[in-house]
Parts: sequence; C-alpha cells; structure tokens
Amino acid sequence: MSEPVSRPNGHPSGAAGHEGMDRRSFLRTSAVLASGMAALAASLAPLRNLRDFPSMERFLQKHYKELTPPEMRKVLDRITREVETQYGLRPEVRDYKPMDGVEFVYCLNLTRCIGCRKCVHACVAENNQSRDPEIQYIRVLRMPHGSLDLEKSDPNYAPDTVPEKGFFYMPVQCQQCKKPPCVKVCPVRATWQQADGITVIDYDWCIGCRYCEAACPYFARRFNWTRPWIPKDRINLNMSYLGNRPRRQGVMEKCHFCIQRTRAGRYPACLEVCPAGARKFGNILDPESEVSYIMKNKRVFIQLKEEVGTSPRFFYYFDV
Amino acid sequence: MVLWMLMLAFAGLTAALGLDLWSHPAQRPSIPLVDASFLSNATARVSAADLVKSGGDTSGLECYTCHDKKETVKLTFDTNGGIVLPKEHIDIAGTNSEGAFMPMAHGRNDRNNNCFNCHNETNLETLQTRDGRELKITESPQLCGSCHGPTYRDWEAGVHGRTSGYWDRALGPIDRKVCTSCHNPHAPKFQPWKPAPRPHALHPVMAGVGQEEKPH
Amino acid sequence: MIKGARNYFTFLRRCARIAFVGDWRYYAWMGVLSIIVLVGINAYARQFVNGLIVTGMSDQVSWGVYIANFTFIVGVAAAAAMLVIPVYIYDNKELHDLVIFGELLAVAAILMCLAFVAVDLGRPDRFWHLIPGIGEFNFPHSMLSWDVIVLNGYLLLNVHICGYLLYCRYRGRTPAKWFYIPFVFIAIGWAISIHTVTAFLYVGLGGRPFWNSSIVGPRFIASAFTAGPALIILALQVIRRVANYQIADKALLTLRSIVQVSMLINVFLLVNEVFKEFYSGTMHVASSEYLFFGLHGHHALVPWIWTAIVFNLVAMFILVLPLSHSLKWLNAACLLAIVGIWIEKGMGLVVPGFIPTQLGEMVEYTPSVNETLVCLGIWAFGLLCYTVFLRMSIPILQGQLCQANEQAGARAAGH
Repeated sequence: MSEPVSRPNGHPSGAAGHEGMDRRSFLRTSAVLASGMAALAASLAPLRNLRDFPSMERFLQKHYKELTPPEMRKVLDRITREVETQYGLRPEVRDYKPMDGVEFVYCLNLTRCIGCRKCVHACVAENNQSRDPEIQYIRVLRMPHGSLDLEKSDPNYAPDTVPEKGFFYMPVQCQQCKKPPCVKVCPVRATWQQADGITVIDYDWCIGCRYCEAACPYFARRFNWTRPWIPKDRINLNMSYLGNRPRRQGVMEKCHFCIQRTRAGRYPACLEVCPAGARKFGNILDPESEVSYIMKNKRVFIQLKEEVGTSPRFFYYFDV
Repeated sequence: MVLWMLMLAFAGLTAALGLDLWSHPAQRPSIPLVDASFLSNATARVSAADLVKSGGDTSGLECYTCHDKKETVKLTFDTNGGIVLPKEHIDIAGTNSEGAFMPMAHGRNDRNNNCFNCHNETNLETLQTRDGRELKITESPQLCGSCHGPTYRDWEAGVHGRTSGYWDRALGPIDRKVCTSCHNPHAPKFQPWKPAPRPHALHPVMAGVGQEEKPH
Repeated sequence: MIKGARNYFTFLRRCARIAFVGDWRYYAWMGVLSIIVLVGINAYARQFVNGLIVTGMSDQVSWGVYIANFTFIVGVAAAAAMLVIPVYIYDNKELHDLVIFGELLAVAAILMCLAFVAVDLGRPDRFWHLIPGIGEFNFPHSMLSWDVIVLNGYLLLNVHICGYLLYCRYRGRTPAKWFYIPFVFIAIGWAISIHTVTAFLYVGLGGRPFWNSSIVGPRFIASAFTAGPALIILALQVIRRVANYQIADKALLTLRSIVQVSMLINVFLLVNEVFKEFYSGTMHVASSEYLFFGLHGHHALVPWIWTAIVFNLVAMFILVLPLSHSLKWLNAACLLAIVGIWIEKGMGLVVPGFIPTQLGEMVEYTPSVNETLVCLGIWAFGLLCYTVFLRMSIPILQGQLCQANEQAGARAAGH
C-alpha cells in the first residue's frame, strides 16, 4: 500500500537530524516535477498565437443598459479606433435608440419571392457579417407547393434559374418575437428586446454559451465559431453599437432589422435589394404604413410556428 | 523506477506537444465573395419617367423622328393571329437568355395583341386607356392600373413593387418605383434569374456537401 | 482561535503532502492521468486561440459532447448523494463511511461539470458576467442561472459535509450533529434539484419538440440514479482492492438494489417515450426518427442508440436476476448500464435535439479530434481529483492520518 511517509518530495531537508531526504530521491522527484512543468508549458504553447486578448478596459466594460452617456461615448470611440486599426478605414459608430411610438413589423409576400437570395447578400454586406466562415442571417427555404412542412424545406437549392416550377420560396430571419425565448434563456441578459420590438444583443456582454441558439425556434441566431473575416473593400462604415459593428470570436449575432438604417427612418437592406418587391416593412402603429395596409387587407397570412407561442412580428402573406 | 518512467513520459509529451503533431484543423475550402451584381439595388429596367428625370437619352420616346404624322401605322399579324414586330421595334420585348429577340408577350391567348390597345394611334407619343383617356408616357401606371386593378391599388398603397428610401416620411423621402421600372410593358412577366450561391456550411463534410441532393 | 486555524492549516498541509506519496501503482495511475490532462489542456489552448470552430459543432448543431458529458456527469453528481439516503434516513450503519466516498465523488463530478461548461463557452474571459450582483444574472427566468446556483451550492454543501466529517475524524472528535445533519438532508433534496434543473434546461425550449416533453425530467433522474450508484459500486471495489479498506459486500448489494429499481424505471420510461413518439405519427417525431431509424439518408446515431438500448436491457435483465448477487455479474451489469446511459444521455438526447434543425435542415455532428481530447482531459482531471480526495480521506478514515500522530508524522517528514 502506501509507503511510509519517509520519502516526501520537493522539499530539501532543512531541520537537523532524522532521516530527511537523500540526494538521490531529491534529484529524482525534482526531475519528475521539472519534466512535468516542461510538459505543462508545452501544452500551453498554442496560447502564444493568441490575438485579440481583451484589454482591461474591455474586460471590465459594463452591460449596455448600465453605460452612462459619457461611458458609451468612450466605448464608441474605442470601437472606432479598433475598426480603423484593423481595416484602415474610419467608421461612424453610433448608438441608435428606439424611436417613440414605433413598433416594427415585417411582412413578406410569398407570391412574389423568387428565391434569388439577393436579400441574403445585401444583409451580409450591410451588417458586416463574416464572409469566411460564412454567416448569413437570412436563410431562404425552398418549399414544395402545397405544404408548410419545414421538414420538406431545402435551403441548399442551386438551380440554374429561379423560380423553379412547383416550389415557392420562404426567407427566414429573426422574427423579433413578442415573446422571445432567446431573451428568456440568456443567463447574463446579453440579449433583450427594446421598445420598438427589435431584440438586440450586446456583443461585448455575451459569454457565448449558445443557449439562445438552442432556444430559438427559427434558426435565427448565429455564433462566431472563429474570428470573423470581412473583406476591407466591402465593409459598411455606417455602424451601430447594437447592430452592425464588427463582432468578435465567440459571441452571438442575428438579424436586428438593420438598426442603423431603420432607427434613422430608412428601410432595411434586404427590402431595398429585393427585385420582386416581396418585402414590406414599417411601423404597425402607424395606420398609414404599408404594413398596416397589408395586415388589414391581405386575406391570408401566417406566422411561422405560431403554436410555439412566440408571437413573431414577421408575417408571411399571399397576394389575393 | 516508476518515477523515471514518468519523467521520460513527461519529456516525451513535451517533445510531442512542441512538435505539434496532432489536432490540425481540417482545411476548409475558401469561400469566394459573392458577385457584386447580387448587392445592387438597381431595377431591372429604367422607366420612361426615370429616364426623363435623370436626363438620359430620350430619343427613343420621340416617335415622330421616324413616323410620319399624316400616315396611320399598319399592324401586321402572323397566321396564328399574333402580332409581328416590325424590324425597327424588334427589341421592344427584350431578349431571352440566348440573346434572341422575344416576340410580343403581354396577355395570354392573344388577349392583348394590338399595339393600339395601349398606344394611341392618333398620337404615337402618348398612351390611351380603353375608356378613352390620353396619358403621357411618363404617366403609364394609370394605364397599367386601368386593367390591373388589384395590383394598382396595392401599388398605390406601397405594397406592390419596390420601395426604397425612408419608411418614416418625416425623416426623408420615399422612392417609389413605377410599373415599367421592373416590368417590360411588351413582355411584363419576369425572366428567370440566376440565384446567388447556396449557403456554405461550417464543416462541409458533415453537411453532406458533395453528395447528391437527396429527394425529400 | 489562532490555535484552531493553525491546527486546520496543519491538517490541510498534511493532506496535500500525502497526495504526492504512494506506491508505484499510485504514481503510474496519477502519471497517466496527468499526461491525459496535459494533452487536454493543450487541446483546449488550441480551442481558446482558434475558437470553437475546432470542434465539430456548427450553427445547426450548436451543442455537442461538452454539454452531453456535462449532462451525464451532473447525473452522477446527483446520484452520488444517493448513498446519503439509506444511511441517514434508513439509519444503515454499514454505509456510513461510504457516504464520504460518495460525496467526494460528487465533488469531483461537480468540478468536471464546471469544467465542461467552461470549455463550451465562446468567451470564458467574460465569466464574471454570471456573478450575481456584479454581472447581470438572469434569475429566475433563465434555467442556466438556476443551474449556476444549484451546481455551486451543491459543491459547497458536499465540500462542507465531507470536509467537516473528515476534519473531525482527523482530530478524533465526534462531529456535532447540528453542523452537518441538516446539510445532509438539504443535500438529498438539492441532489434531485441539480439534475431536475439540468433537465429543465432542455424541457423549457418550446422550439425543440424533441426536448419539450415532460418525460425528460423523470428520465434524467431515473438514469442518473442508475449510472451514479453503478459507478460507485465499481469505485468502491477499486478502493477495497487498492487501499485495503474494508467494505462489506452488503453495502454493494444495497447499492445494487438502487441500481436495479432505477434501471427498471429508466427502461419503462424509455418504452413510454418510444410509444408516444411513434404511435401517434405526428410531424414532431422527426428527431426521434433520426435517432432510432435515420432520416433522409442520415443515420449516424442509429448504431449508437441501439447499442445503448441493448446494453441497458441486458443490464436490466442481469440486475433483476439473482445472478447479479455475484460481484462478477454485478460489475458487468454496472459497466453496461454506465456506458448505455452515457450514450443515451449524450448522443441520445443532446444531439438529436438539433437534427433536424428548427427549419428542417439535416446537418450531422461528429466530435473532432480536438474536442475529444478536451473531453478526455476533463475526465482524467475528474479521476485525478477523485483519486487525490481518496488518497487524503482513506488514511483519515482508517486512523493513519490523525492529529495524534502529527508529531510523528512531522518527524518522519524531516522537520
């Protein structure tokens, strides 16, 4: 069993007398310890390639909701500097607050969508998403006529031309649910819903546990599995703190209805690029908006997975 | 004895870790940037109204450069009853993907195969509706709407067709497109498009990329 | 007071020292484990630098073996406290000392759980965001926040109970009942809660019909109370052999009955689940179909789940028969049960929840080499911790390490 405690290791005999340790066993145990330490150092060797280790300022940065205006100013300046250093171009980074009396709703006309995926790429360009590995907030599903069974969907269609006979196309992105499950499950409140209905993420607060990605019923959330890569000549310099400023490795992101455009009164990028005019967006609280007209006059509209109880703000409809 | 072996094992591990012998991530094929045409907001065509507004070349709209005001235009029909485009107007219905000129294609079953259903035979530079209104070419949406009522009503509300600019009119103007910015009035149906590439998976092998598309 | 503190530090120092002392088998075992841990640390360092892309996870399958192992080990931690029930509720004296071994296993298991969660985080440098009061702690809405509380609380409970009982034994004092009995009873309830909260992590997600089912919670408890005591049965026999510690066969057979009943319940719940998924034929069974039979040409998990089911059934039959009174058969049944339940909880629960995705897409998952090395490293770390705990506690329980021989020990150590 265990040897009698007469051969301890690591400590040279100090006090007088008694057995102490002889030189041989001291050398032996030191050698083992030294080789162990060397192995530990070698195992940690990959850390020498570590880039982007947070500075003390970034490490201690508070949650978005706790930042005072001067602190937010400092943070925005820091982000401006970081983008300038990395891309050589000076962005404009602002913190867009929700507008009063506004609740955004998105309507998508399934009669018109032709599945060209221009919305996917306009979104990628507008929101500075990583090109490699690829992050795309919008996923266009090709569905066969006659069914809404998502199991029959195919996001990987690649025909020569679209639309294809016998199919319709349904782009899916964050539905900005009224009862968002992602907000409920985030352990650190890094994602929450703001007054105009947009569910936002504080990229500097997210710990990357991906619980929200598991909870989302619409496959809307994306994770940065490694350092994102944005080509310099396609970066969008009009940035917002909660929206399209460049993200880091290890945090979540998703569609935010182009905060930097919509909270300045403009249409989101996916809408503007759609060649078929299938996408409609606006303030549902304004009775004169296009979306109010659609909700009043179009006869058939569906909310994806209505039964899950999320109450999305994204409505699919058909003409006539 | 065991301690010596342990030391050797640690030393060997140090060497192996230092030589970086395993766990190299698989090389992912690099993802090409998408073609810039997929990022463009441009409409498929330029309408007459846009052409005039932008100050472009409107010589194509000045019909009496070629036509004679005193002569009436004679229409030619083929044996099936379809209209035959004269060679000067052979391109008005656009070209197909192979570059061949398309025939007139507005209305099925030859419902609309008479130029003067829309064009005014007494004044070629204007348009006419069936109830006798004469419209300028830049006012073409009213002509389209005189037959396509529900679509026209949707267009007026901003729900059919493309909009860009500002949803909040207080902050800026909205930019509405007219019918002919997207639809060729002589062949209004959209031609099929080439779609942007399919999404690229993070781990291509596990997404089954390269396998045949399995029928669902 | 100062004397008390000094006594305590002497106790800690002696415990720490004895962890480095042992026979050749001890050194070989610890050496092998250390090597595996170092390889795991290296693999994690690569992951820390390059991001989680070095694993096999993707947006479609965003949780993998890390969370699968976490789920299994939480069950083991919960069940380790099961030993407490017969001892303190049924006053079974034979198992008394063994409670400490069970709770030490719980401590090692919780450390493993914390490690598995930490390696799964995309930004572990932001761990402080989770601390209530300093960060933003989304309690009570987020089940993960509940999990943080119950796991850390369970760790503290078990560290307190074991630490106190061992220290009292070291000092040769009778432990004061009020200082540990209430905590023991809290620990019984708390053990059930840690695993139920972990189950609720999955159950609460309405967007994943495979998980959003009320049977998940009971299945977790049933499978945990099968695998946990099974692990303890095996561990106790190892302790008996290696440390010459007297453990009566009766203790092992008491644990056997726990494993037996829990396995029967586990299999019954499996039958319930299978019936519900496949009899009604609704659209929500896609994940179960993928798991058991393959779907749309993808069938990576099918051999795994059927192996798990066969293992569980064979284990159940052995346990039910008097055959399992013999230790050889009991050990075989325990091993089959542990492996079967590990597969079931890991690959049979976590991964199919993501396949197909919420939008019907089929993307499969295989852990990468790096991911596997990190998992092995954490398992080795857990075994390392448990071995160290045992190395410290067995001499205390056997009376070889106590305050009385402090001077003798000090002399022998060359002070």
